[in-house]
Amino acid sequence: MSVTADGVRTRRPRNALRRVVLAPPVLAVAGAALLGALVMAAAGVSPGTAYPALVRGAIGGGNLSYTIASYVPTLGMALAFAIPFRAGEFNLGGDGQLTLGGITAAAVALKMPLPGVLAVAGALVAAVLAGALTAGISGPLATRLGLPAIVGTLLISTPATALASYLVRFPLAEKGTGIAETPLLPERAQLPPLGGSEYVTAGLPIILLVTLAWLWVDGGTVLGYEIRALGAGREFARYGGLPVARLATSSLAAGGALAGLSGALIVLAQPYRYVDGALTSPGYTFTGVAAVLLAAGRPRAVPVTAALLTVLQVGGEGMERDAGVPGQLTQVLEGLIIVLVAVLATARRLRRS
Amino acid sequence: MTPAAELSGITKRFGSVLANDSVDLTVLRGEIHAVVGENGAGKSTLMSVLYGLYRPDAGTVLRDGRPVRFRSPADAIAAGLGMVHQRVRLFPELTVAENVVLGAEPVTRRGLLDRTSAVRRVTELAERYGLPVDASAPVGGLPVGLRQRVELLKALHRQAEILILDEPTSVLTPAQAARLFAVLRTLAETGTSILLITHKLGEVLETSDRVTVLRDGQVTGRFVTAETSAAELVHAMIGRNLAPAPRRPRERPDAPYALEARGVRLGNTEDPGVTFGVRPGEIVGIAGVAGSGQRPLVDALTGLGPATGTVELLGADVTSAGVATRRRLGLAYVPDDRDGRATAPALSLARNLVMGDQRTPELRGPLGGLRGRAVAARAADLVTRFGIRTASAGVPLSTLSGGNAQKAVLARELARRTPVVIVEEPTQGVDVGAQEQIHALIAEARENGQAVLLLSSELSEVRALADRVLVLFEGRLVAEFAAAEATEAALGAAMTGVAA
Repeated sequence: MSVTADGVRTRRPRNALRRVVLAPPVLAVAGAALLGALVMAAAGVSPGTAYPALVRGAIGGGNLSYTIASYVPTLGMALAFAIPFRAGEFNLGGDGQLTLGGITAAAVALKMPLPGVLAVAGALVAAVLAGALTAGISGPLATRLGLPAIVGTLLISTPATALASYLVRFPLAEKGTGIAETPLLPERAQLPPLGGSEYVTAGLPIILLVTLAWLWVDGGTVLGYEIRALGAGREFARYGGLPVARLATSSLAAGGALAGLSGALIVLAQPYRYVDGALTSPGYTFTGVAAVLLAAGRPRAVPVTAALLTVLQVGGEGMERDAGVPGQLTQVLEGLIIVLVAVLATARRLRRS
Repeated sequence: MTPAAELSGITKRFGSVLANDSVDLTVLRGEIHAVVGENGAGKSTLMSVLYGLYRPDAGTVLRDGRPVRFRSPADAIAAGLGMVHQRVRLFPELTVAENVVLGAEPVTRRGLLDRTSAVRRVTELAERYGLPVDASAPVGGLPVGLRQRVELLKALHRQAEILILDEPTSVLTPAQAARLFAVLRTLAETGTSILLITHKLGEVLETSDRVTVLRDGQVTGRFVTAETSAAELVHAMIGRNLAPAPRRPRERPDAPYALEARGVRLGNTEDPGVTFGVRPGEIVGIAGVAGSGQRPLVDALTGLGPATGTVELLGADVTSAGVATRRRLGLAYVPDDRDGRATAPALSLARNLVMGDQRTPELRGPLGGLRGRAVAARAADLVTRFGIRTASAGVPLSTLSGGNAQKAVLARELARRTPVVIVEEPTQGVDVGAQEQIHALIAEARENGQAVLLLSSELSEVRALADRVLVLFEGRLVAEFAAAEATEAALGAAMTGVAA
C-alpha cells in the first residue's frame, strides 16, 4: 500500500522498478545522454572524457560547494514556474521578478539600517514582495483584460530587468568602479555561511523549507486542491464555485515571490552585492522551467530534476576547463532532455487514443 | 454469395481487460447490420479492429472471402471500408469539397489541388446519394448534422463498400436522424454494407436488417431484426430485463417554487425571456434540440454565465450571486459537458468526487489541510452507493468509462441532497444499463422532495421522467405539456417550431 498525492490509498504496482526506469523523465535523461554522446563524437570529443569531466566539474573537489550554492536559485526559479503551472498559468517572466527581487534586497540592505537578524529578514521580505508584485500584475491582466499570463509575465520581464539595471547603474551604483554593481552589503545583511563553507549559505535551508512548505500546500491542503483543480480544468473550477481569478492571480504572485526570494538569496550571498547581469546570465529562470517540465507533473520530482540540471549547468563549466569541451554542450543536453520529454508525452498520448 | 466482411474469433486484450473474446461477425453485402451493446461491451474495439486501428491478438478478418491484415486505417480504406466517427473529425477551416476529397484529391497538371473538379465531384456525389450540401462552404460554419453528412460523403468518395457508423444519431434531431436512415437504406439497396453502432434500440428495430449484440466482449445474441423485439435485445445486452422507474403522485402540488426564473433572456434581446418554476418533489423536463438556448438558460440558473431577469433559489434572489453562493444555498448541477465542466479528467476520481465540498468541516482540517482520509472515505462511500465501477478511487477519472464517469458526477451532485437539482443530458453517451440506474437516481431525487430540472434532447428520457415538459425552441419556451399529454409527436413538433 502506498499513499498517492491525493491521499488515497492504492496498491503499489508489482513492477514498481520497471515503472521508475520507464518513467518519461528517466527515459528522457538517458536518451539525452546517449544523443549527447553522439553529438560529442561528431564534434570530435570523446564522451568517455567529457562525461567524467562533467561529473567532476560539478561534484569533484571544491566544486560541490559551488554546485550546491547554484542549486538554491535554480530550485527557487523552478518553484517560481511550478507554482503557477499547477494552476494552469505559465510564468515566463522569472528574469524580471528575479532581478527586481535581487535589487530590492540590495536596496533594503544598503539603505535601511535594520538591526541584527532583521537586516536579512527585511531584505528577504522586501524581495519577496517585489517579486510577487511583478508577477502578480499579470493576474488581472489575464483575468480582466484577457492577456494570457504566459505573454503578460514575459512582456513585463524585460522592463523589470531594465529597471533593475537602471537602479544598479545610477541610484545604487558603487561610485568609482567601472562596473555596474552596488557597494558591498553591510555584514549584518549577509546570509551566514553554512558550516564554514565558502559558497553555501543559510539560503539552502531557506529554499528547502520553502520547497517542503509548497509540497505540503500542493498535496495536503484545500488551497492546493483548488489550485490543482483550476490547473486541471478551468471550467471545472468555475463549475465548482472556486474563485478562479483570485486563485490564478495568487498563484502567479506566489511564483513571483519565489523568484524574488531567489534573487535576494543570490544577492545576500557571495559576492554580497548586486552585480548587473549576474542574476540573469546563468539562466536560472529557464533552467527552472526545464526542471519543472522534466518533472512532468510530479511536484515531488522538482527538487530532484532541479538538482540534476544544476549539476549539468555547473559541470558544463568544469568540462570546458578540464576536457576542452565547449560548455554550450550542456545546453545541447538540456535542450535534448526537454525535446525528449515532449516527444515521450506526445507518444504516450497518441498510444492512448 | 460471399459476405462483404467476415470477422472470426477476434480476441483483443488491453492489459487485464478482455475487450473482445473470440467474437464472430458476418457482414452481408447490402445489409444494415446493427452492433449493439453497453458501453465497454467491446463494440468500438471490434470496429477498430475491422477498420485497422487495432490489430487483434487472435482471429481473422476476411474481406470478400480473402484474408486481410489491416495495419492502419489507410489499408482499410484501400480495401473499401469507411468509418463515420461519433465525434466528427473534419478540418473546420477547409471547405466541404476539400474535406471530402482529402486523401484522394483531384490534382491539376502542376500537382496542385484542382478545386473546381473537387467541387464538381462532391456536388455530383451529393446529388447521387441525396445528401444535399454546399460543396464550397467552409465546414466550420456548418451545423453538426451537415458535418456528419460531409463525413459520410467523404467515405462514399473513397468508394467505401462497407460503411461503419459510430452512434450516428447522437448529434441529430429526430427529423435529421430519419433523413439519415433513409439515405442509409438507399445505400444498402445499391449494395453498400452498413455497420451501425448504436445503443438506441428504436433505431435498431426501425432501420437494421440484422443485429449482433455484444456483452462483456462476447456475442450474446444474433437476431434478424424483423423477428426480434426491444425486450429481447435488452435482455441480450444486459442479461436481465429493465424495470421501469417507480412513480408516485406528487405529495405537494401547490408548494412554492424551489427554483424560479422570470424573464430570463436566452440570446435575443427583444425577447421577453423565459419564465417558469420548479416545485419540490417534481421533475420539470425541458425538451429541445441541442442549441435551442439550453446553455444560456443553465448558465443563468447556476451563475456560470450572466443572467437577465430574475432567478430565485428557495425564495432568495440569486440573479447576481456567484456559483459558490448558489451551491451553498442548495443547488446541485449535473452538466452535459462531462470532460470540460463536470469533471477534471486528469484528477483522480476521489478528487473529482469532492469538488465543491472541499471547504466543508468534514473535509477541511486545521491549517486549511485537506483531510486525505475523509476524502478517501467519501469517495469509497459514493463508489459503493452509486455502483461506480473503477479499479480504485485514486485512478484518474479519465480511466473510467463514460457511464461510470457520469455516475460519479451524479453521485457527487445527488448525494448532497440539495433542494434543487439541475440535470443536463444525464444519459448522453451512456449505455442502457447505466441509463436505467441514472433514471432511477433522478426519480429517487424527486421522491426525496428535491426539485429537479431535467434538460434533455432525448424525448424518451423526458417523457419517462418528467411530471411537466416545457419545450425550448430558439431561445423561447414555446409549449408546456403535462406528462400525460407529452407524446413523442407533440413534443417533436414543438421542438422543431412546427406548432407553438
